[in-house]
Amino acid sequence: MDLLHKSKHQPPLDLKGSLAFSEAAGSGCRYIRVETDSALPDTSPGQFFLLRVSGVSDPLLGRPFASFSGSGNSVDFLFRPVGRGTELLASLPPGTRVDLRGPCGNGFPVPRSRRLILVAGTLGIAPFLDAAARFSRTLGVTTILGVPGHGWRDFSGWCRDRIPDIHIASDDGTIGNPGTAVEEALSLFQHEDEVWACGPNPMLKNMGAMHSAGCERLFVSLERRMACGMGGCLGCSIETRSGSARACVEGPVFEWKEVLWNE
Amino acid sequence: MSKLAGLHINVGGVSMETPVIIASGVWPMNPSLWPKGSLEGVGAICSKAITLEPRAGNRGNRLRETHSGLLNSIGLQNGGAVSFIENDLPALSSSGKPVVANIAFETLDELRMIIERLNSCRDMIGAIEMNVSCPNVSMGGMAWGMDKGSLERSVTAARSLWEGPLWVKLSPQAPSIATAARICETSGAQAVVVGNTWLGMAMDNDREEPFFDRVFAGLSGPAIFPLSLRLVWEAAGSVNIPVVGCGGICGPEEALSMFLAGASAVALGTGLFLDSRIPSSTCEKLSEHMKRRSIPEIKDLAGRGRHFRRLQGGA
Ligand SMILES: Cc1cc2nc3c(=O)[nH]c(=O)nc-3n(C[C@H](O)[C@H](O)[C@H](O)COP(=O)(O)OP(=O)(O)OC[C@H]3O[C@@H](n4cnc5c(N)ncnc54)[C@H](O)[C@@H]3O)c2cc1C
Ligand SMILES: Cc1cc2nc3c(=O)[nH]c(=O)nc-3n(C[C@H](O)[C@H](O)[C@H](O)COP(=O)(O)O)c2cc1C
Ligand code: FES
Repeated sequence: MDLLHKSKHQPPLDLKGSLAFSEAAGSGCRYIRVETDSALPDTSPGQFFLLRVSGVSDPLLGRPFASFSGSGNSVDFLFRPVGRGTELLASLPPGTRVDLRGPCGNGFPVPRSRRLILVAGTLGIAPFLDAAARFSRTLGVTTILGVPGHGWRDFSGWCRDRIPDIHIASDDGTIGNPGTAVEEALSLFQHEDEVWACGPNPMLKNMGAMHSAGCERLFVSLERRMACGMGGCLGCSIETRSGSARACVEGPVFEWKEVLWNE
Repeated sequence: MSKLAGLHINVGGVSMETPVIIASGVWPMNPSLWPKGSLEGVGAICSKAITLEPRAGNRGNRLRETHSGLLNSIGLQNGGAVSFIENDLPALSSSGKPVVANIAFETLDELRMIIERLNSCRDMIGAIEMNVSCPNVSMGGMAWGMDKGSLERSVTAARSLWEGPLWVKLSPQAPSIATAARICETSGAQAVVVGNTWLGMAMDNDREEPFFDRVFAGLSGPAIFPLSLRLVWEAAGSVNIPVVGCGGICGPEEALSMFLAGASAVALGTGLFLDSRIPSSTCEKLSEHMKRRSIPEIKDLAGRGRHFRRLQGGA
């Protein structure tokens, strides 16, 4: 695995914990906190955990979710029910026992520019929720949220409550500025800005426009179906210029230009 | 260490501290990726399938969850035999556990060349595990393990080339697992692993086409456990060499059932995706059970569930 040097080499932990709370985050999304039985290691933005309900074999595998506000014995997640695993997670009462594997993956690199643009497509905001505030102490941080529009108003409001200066764009123009998150990012981009993006893969592919606009440090967090989250199954492989890479070890964060997008 | 008392076993020429093996294809080959403490209770580590030449693996979707199961279509992605010897083997050996080299081949020539290469590092390899679920090119792509003749030819060939312990990992698709296991035994295998994934498929209903590019994929996980247990029962009833039970073991109870059905050891695959500490909890469970029933050694547990009596004429 040629790209291993880019990962942090820290194997994930298998932990047990309980759901501390599960709140509506608007537009059907859920904001949950897990309190773990043992202490969590430090996590960086872009790292994720596999989360599953203890003792349940259907759904079987942990689902990957970006973590935020992880410290001590608690870690937060934001997700949207889109299938069996996430629907079950959304229905759990506080106190439910869960298994976590993590932190997995490399996370975003330490920023090198003085200005950072964080670009999120809907739930892609998760890894940026605490990063935006944390980095804004030392850097100029611009956060952009792109949503389809209609139906995402409450979620957009939820995000604005946490990141008051967030720029919101919607495809149908009903929330914030009309247009996509990528278009919004292009309009705010200044030479030498570093750009991080997280969202659906088609949006991340479109982030190539930032590259064309002269962005030198452009990082994206890719989504893949995963089974082990620790580099064993090779189920999450991604084709890159340096060969095949595992989204759960060498990723999920890749330099945009490293990824072979047409594969 | 005392936790592992009585669990030591020799399986087909491989001496293992515990009878719990990490199955092929589920564990990273790089020890820096192993969760802390995850090797506790592990008796041996199986490599990913090794092919003669590097393989890129399958394109498109590789994983799909089913009810309590997992379909995979990884396509034997690996760096080839030379890279295995140079990179993965030293890394796996650093664990101090016996390394089981899982090999896949499409022709007898390929089988010969892989074994010739592995012979150069014989000392570092606990056993070769032949993966006979791969297509035999000269049989129009039917898996080696599906046909008595191909199975016999391949195991006999491997036996004549490889001096170390030889295991064969059977395919559940074999028409008769008992026959397949017997062929392995008479052809010189020292253990059979029963078994690999069950062939299944998934449909992408939105696209109205098969979910996987290669249409069929291998099913693993708790969904297949009762099927695997039955295979282990059948295989263990037909051979004298040890049977390694594999398929759907996700916890200590299933592992124990495998032993009772006749397995001498168990291999864990998908279960490790859920919890890397299953080997350790399995060992605890086995020790506890043995203590409670005054069974001194794990080898005495194998097949204990076969000496059963049923009340006749019940409902
Ligand atoms: C590194 C990483 C971080 C993620 N972080 C978040 C997050 O913070 N919040 C969030 O809501 N979601 C996140 N996801 C996506 C989330 O993992 C999936 O939505 C979830 O696994 C779907 O599970 P399910 O059982 O509900 O869906 P399924 O019933 O399995 O599938 C429903 C739909 O989701 C798609 N899907 C399934 N698995 C994945 C996957 N691993 N990645 C992307 N799409 C998938 C399927 O193609 C299908 O269209 C992340 C994914 C990755 C890889
Ligand atoms: C992702 C994945 C990759 C696998 N790769 C291999 C392989 O390379 N060679 C092999 O013989 N078996 C391979 N297997 C099969 C497993 O070793 C095991 O036999 C099978 O999954 C059934 O056991 P389980 O239900 O405990 O997973 C693979 C299984 C999975 C899930
Ligand atoms: S999820 Fe198994 S290698 Fe990435």
